[in-house]
Amino acid sequence: MRSSLQAVALWGKKAPLHSITTIMITDDQQTIVTGSQEGQLCLWSLSPELKISAKELLFGHSASVICVAKARDFSKERYVVSAAENGEMCVWNVTNGQCVEKATLPYRHTAICYYHCSFRMTGEGWLLCCGEYQDILIIDAKTLVLVHTFTSSQSPDWISCMCIVHSMRIQEDSLLVVSVTGELKVWDLSSSINSIQEKQGVYEKESKFLDSLNCRTIRFCTYTERLLLVVFSRCWKVYDYCDFSLLRTEVSRGGQLFAGGEVLAAHRIIIWTEDGHSYIYQLLNSGLSKSIYPADGRVLRETIYPHLLCSASVQENKSLPCVMGYMNERKEPFYKVLFSGEVSGRITLWHIPDVPVTKFDGSPGEITITTTWTLQDNFDKQHIMSQSIIDYFSGFKDGAGTVVVTSSVYVPSLDKLVCGCEDGNIIITQALSAAKAGLLEGGSLLKDSLPHKVLKGHHQSVISLLYPHSLSSKLDQSWLVSGDQDSCVIMWDIFTEEILHKFFLEAGPVTSLLMPSENFRLRSNQVVFCVCGDHSVALLHLEEKRFLFCARKHLFPVKVIKWHPVENFLIVGCADDSVYIWEIETGTLERHETGERARIILNCDDSQFLKPESVLSVASETHKHKSVEQRSSSSYQFGPMPCPGLQVESSCKVADAKSFSGPFNVLPVKTKWSSIGFHILLFDLESLVELLLSTPVCDSDPSNSFYPSEILRRARSTVEKKTLTLKRNKTACASLSAEAQARPVSEALTQGESSILVLEEYEGIKRQKKLKSSKKTHPTPSRKFDANLTIDAAKLLLSCLLPWGVDKELDNLCIKHLNILKLQGPVSLGLASNEDHFSLMLPGWDVCNAEMKKDYSKVNLFSRKVLDLSNKYTSTLPNQAGTPGGLENNCDALYESNTITYLLRRLFLVNKLVNMPVDVAYGTNSSFRMDSVHNKVKSPGNDILHILSFYSYLRNGKNESHLPEADVSLLKLISCWRDQSVQVTEAIQAVLLAEVQQHMKTLRKTPVNSEPGSMNENGNCQMMQIQPKMECTEELELQCITDSLSLQTSASLVKHDSDSNSANFQDTEDMPDRCVVKESESPGEPMHRSWIAKMCFCKLC
Amino acid sequence: MATAMAPTSVERAVLEEEFRWLLHDEVHAVLRQLQDILKEASLRFTLPGSGMEGPAKQENFILGSSGTDQVKGVLTLQGDALSQADVNLKMPRNNQLLHFAFREDKQWKLQQIQDARNHVSQAIYLLNNRDESYQFRTGAEVLKLMDAVMLQLTRARNRLTTPATLTLPEIAASGLTRMFTPALPSDLLVNVYINLNKLCLTVYQLHALQPNSTKNFRPAGGSVLHSPGAMFEWGSQRLEVSHVHKVESVIPWLNDALVFFTVSLQLCQQLKDKISVFSSYWSYRPF
Repeated sequence: MRSSLQAVALWGKKAPLHSITTIMITDDQQTIVTGSQEGQLCLWSLSPELKISAKELLFGHSASVICVAKARDFSKERYVVSAAENGEMCVWNVTNGQCVEKATLPYRHTAICYYHCSFRMTGEGWLLCCGEYQDILIIDAKTLVLVHTFTSSQSPDWISCMCIVHSMRIQEDSLLVVSVTGELKVWDLSSSINSIQEKQGVYEKESKFLDSLNCRTIRFCTYTERLLLVVFSRCWKVYDYCDFSLLRTEVSRGGQLFAGGEVLAAHRIIIWTEDGHSYIYQLLNSGLSKSIYPADGRVLRETIYPHLLCSASVQENKSLPCVMGYMNERKEPFYKVLFSGEVSGRITLWHIPDVPVTKFDGSPGEITITTTWTLQDNFDKQHIMSQSIIDYFSGFKDGAGTVVVTSSVYVPSLDKLVCGCEDGNIIITQALSAAKAGLLEGGSLLKDSLPHKVLKGHHQSVISLLYPHSLSSKLDQSWLVSGDQDSCVIMWDIFTEEILHKFFLEAGPVTSLLMPSENFRLRSNQVVFCVCGDHSVALLHLEEKRFLFCARKHLFPVKVIKWHPVENFLIVGCADDSVYIWEIETGTLERHETGERARIILNCDDSQFLKPESVLSVASETHKHKSVEQRSSSSYQFGPMPCPGLQVESSCKVADAKSFSGPFNVLPVKTKWSSIGFHILLFDLESLVELLLSTPVCDSDPSNSFYPSEILRRARSTVEKKTLTLKRNKTACASLSAEAQARPVSEALTQGESSILVLEEYEGIKRQKKLKSSKKTHPTPSRKFDANLTIDAAKLLLSCLLPWGVDKELDNLCIKHLNILKLQGPVSLGLASNEDHFSLMLPGWDVCNAEMKKDYSKVNLFSRKVLDLSNKYTSTLPNQAGTPGGLENNCDALYESNTITYLLRRLFLVNKLVNMPVDVAYGTNSSFRMDSVHNKVKSPGNDILHILSFYSYLRNGKNESHLPEADVSLLKLISCWRDQSVQVTEAIQAVLLAEVQQHMKTLRKTPVNSEPGSMNENGNCQMMQIQPKMECTEELELQCITDSLSLQTSASLVKHDSDSNSANFQDTEDMPDRCVVKESESPGEPMHRSWIAKMCFCKLC
Repeated sequence: MATAMAPTSVERAVLEEEFRWLLHDEVHAVLRQLQDILKEASLRFTLPGSGMEGPAKQENFILGSSGTDQVKGVLTLQGDALSQADVNLKMPRNNQLLHFAFREDKQWKLQQIQDARNHVSQAIYLLNNRDESYQFRTGAEVLKLMDAVMLQLTRARNRLTTPATLTLPEIAASGLTRMFTPALPSDLLVNVYINLNKLCLTVYQLHALQPNSTKNFRPAGGSVLHSPGAMFEWGSQRLEVSHVHKVESVIPWLNDALVFFTVSLQLCQQLKDKISVFSSYWSYRPF
């Protein structure tokens, strides 16, 4: 998992489609969870006034979501589980939208019930599932592993609905289910827990044939503990729970189909229909039954008849299919809420009153809708936030509204975003600038100057794009292939904006353009496959600008294209599981196979494949690396393995996987059944930091080497200033870093050789580190990302993360000194929980936080908590007043890039820490509690932290001499946050805010210290440097005598400093304690030993 | 240039009109046709509640193979369950004739048939929800319905065309082996499944592998039909399949059902294709 990936979504004006298939309200009545046919989940916040606002969209399922249910005791953990059409199950944390657990079982669930019996069960409880399989599955709620099944001894069949009955009277929980054939079955729950845990067969206790089909809901009346409500699609029935005798059947009228029902109170029920009507009935005892069957020998029993009290129906009565639910809470702050979710994506809420609504004449009245909301409402309300990446082009379209982007592809090597539009134009623009223009204040100024090209040639909307160079570097960089609705494919030169060739396929819309990747070394390397609307596949040869042939016999949509390189066959797999084999030379159909044989052909491995409707994972770095490995092992494979994720154009998937070495990327996303997409900006923190660190001095200020005297002066002045400010500094790390920034330059004159050595060493370490961690299988990005681009991406990321408006002055300082721009509105951040599960905030997420409604000045503050956290963080920063602020505005560019690097490094660290797996974190934490730096290394769980500190070491490279005590306490603090389930984004923002505040504070002060005290020789500087450090330790000694451990560390460090100064490094006894401990106690990393030594050596001599 | 220019307003109006006709009339016509076909299919499965009440009728199938006649079976199918089974097995070595039958009180559910039947009824339910009175507003709505129906139909078909791949221990553990009277000897395994339109019965004859056998023990994976030589571990014993007998019989109504599935799948796809022709006109219209 690449946790360092930060995502920002640019949604555009149109909300993504969200056809609700399932809906639930969490137990705390704060969140509505919906699942959609498109495969996403949406979290909606529900305010105490019953106002709805969409909060987050959760991506992860690759098929439509069938059901959602709670997965934990909500008072402890706010988790829900979702199940999809294809057997995927995910447990989500409702609070932050993270996927906690996932599994894919070969079962399709239609309903899930959470069951936990605290005094008989260990663990987190069970998910009782039913669906398209026989009987009931018991799945562990924590691990999503199949525990056991409830089996039927008689006529096992699919179960269509179920409910858990907690009977207070008999202190026993039972599971009531109705099968698709209408068989009611009862299993004991609480008393069979043991036998389930021992995997013994558990059979039904009772069963009864109910004589109706399509059961939709079964509910037990907990008020009377007697009545059982069973809703079928054509009728609903009331049974006596004691003997399952039928008390009442009510048949639907006017072709209405019932969808569900619930018991409101004793003898009061609510029934709803598929089209969104609901009816509340009072069940009255007729008492007439005795007289009706006087002569009947059967047992006399009462009957019940329903009396309609009131009804409710969805807005406009559009008879759109919808799913409904009812939430009954007897506790006071909660409401009795009836809710419905429509296919159109609309949610409607009714507050059900205790006293039935009636008209004046006493006839049943209609309950008014309390709230109704759609995703689009969020977008309309927050139009500033719902920026599309190319919104600003609306200007040149004579005010006809925005351009609708129907396809897009990002070219990382050129940082170009290519967008195909509905009107047939193709817009090529600089992606980063476009993103900035869309997101930032004053970005509107950018809009006019923004360079963009428009390629005109298509007459209908451009629905597929391909940039061949990203797949095969042998191909011309200038080529771009686009396909439109009208079956026309154009090959462009993007630099000259020329049309190189036009192909007319006459095969319907060109839905996707695919290409084998580089590894496929054959004559037909430059063949583009065009999958068309009429299910045909056209082959185009790019170089020769030749139409090869069109495979046209397919009856069903093309699912897979495979390729037999040896025999030059094209193998096309269709949606109906049939396979067509085409001879590429002649364009003739070789074979058509179905069934088992087709499956075998598709599964044979020696051919390559492409998937037109490939699915994509966004944050899957591991996945990508996996695919890289795959590629290297089997040279024929092209394109990564398809994996579940969200529905995206395949071309970008491949492109993305191929070239994800850059720190910035744009990912076009499209959902199913819609041609409207949105874009996600991806920032890779790790790679950003890496690039910034490896380049800053030479790239950000290339003039350095040419004007040594100037730099010398600058360096000297900074060092001097430091000597002044250092006295006030307890820790010298940051200033050291500043010094180190300057040193390579200052030393370049005298010690040119050694500094190069340093750099080499540094590179070597980095490489070593990469080899070590399995994640880093691909070599260091050989292609240098443009330095300016890196800085720009970093700035944009900072802009997106900063809480603007918290402090006006701070804002201005940031704008002035960091040269970053203010946001136009809050951004929609993304949070990746693993390779293919992530959440994206929706426009208007900030409205959800009720407490933040009042101050509109604050933009982009993730939550109130951030400020507190930030304050805490600042207080832990032990008067690091002049942190790296040693550098002055006299070299703004340098300062800027240094600060940005520093900030990003911090963010990276925080991100890593908060994302750390809990068990490991626990280890570190406990060791933290021991409050000993040395112990830290001993506890096994500590490796991560260990690595981390190493990591920061490494990151800081030559800058930082040691992990300062302050940092340890900060780490401690951040680890605490994780335990308090502070969200990553919150933590990041808090740290960023605090750090920026620190920085800017020094900036405000600078006029005071900027006067250089005395001029010193270069050599003296170093002595001076150590001196204040000595002083500071002494200060420490005075201040905190009790904290001997840390003292020891710093003291020994000082010692080490002086030693290293004399370059006597073989003497290990004089090594700083920390280093020794690390070396000796981490056998896994003996490699580091040498470089630590080198590091220290280089740093201080 | 041969390319069609952007449609004029007149063309657009005509297309809109045509699309409206498609949504209002043609879709319902196709849906009705689909319903008829699927109802026909569901009759084959003798869905409970689909008109005929009471116990499903019993059908006898005589299973045989074109080759040897070492195994003969008469299976009685009642809806989705095997209600009776008579298996005659001529042991190859000693020509001894073995005879097994189902216990009177037992039935064996053929899960493949049950699942296929349930998938069909799900598809019918989906279609029933959209009768003539229902007005489709967008093409996407139709596409979604078709996708859902096709999913059910594909699953129904796949259930019949792809029998479960079981490992030998799974077959040995299955309840089917315990259904016979007299009880199956420990060196016999029986499996019944549907493959396409055929009811298949396989009998595996086993022999134990000597514990100190020089043979390389490699447990066989899952398969529909294991071949002689497949090995597995059951209990503490290592066993090897020595003979495999497979007999089958065509179930005519399963054949019909498969044809119905294929036809209705094609109908669905055609409707989807028709809708897609207009995709550029409806896709940007909200619900």
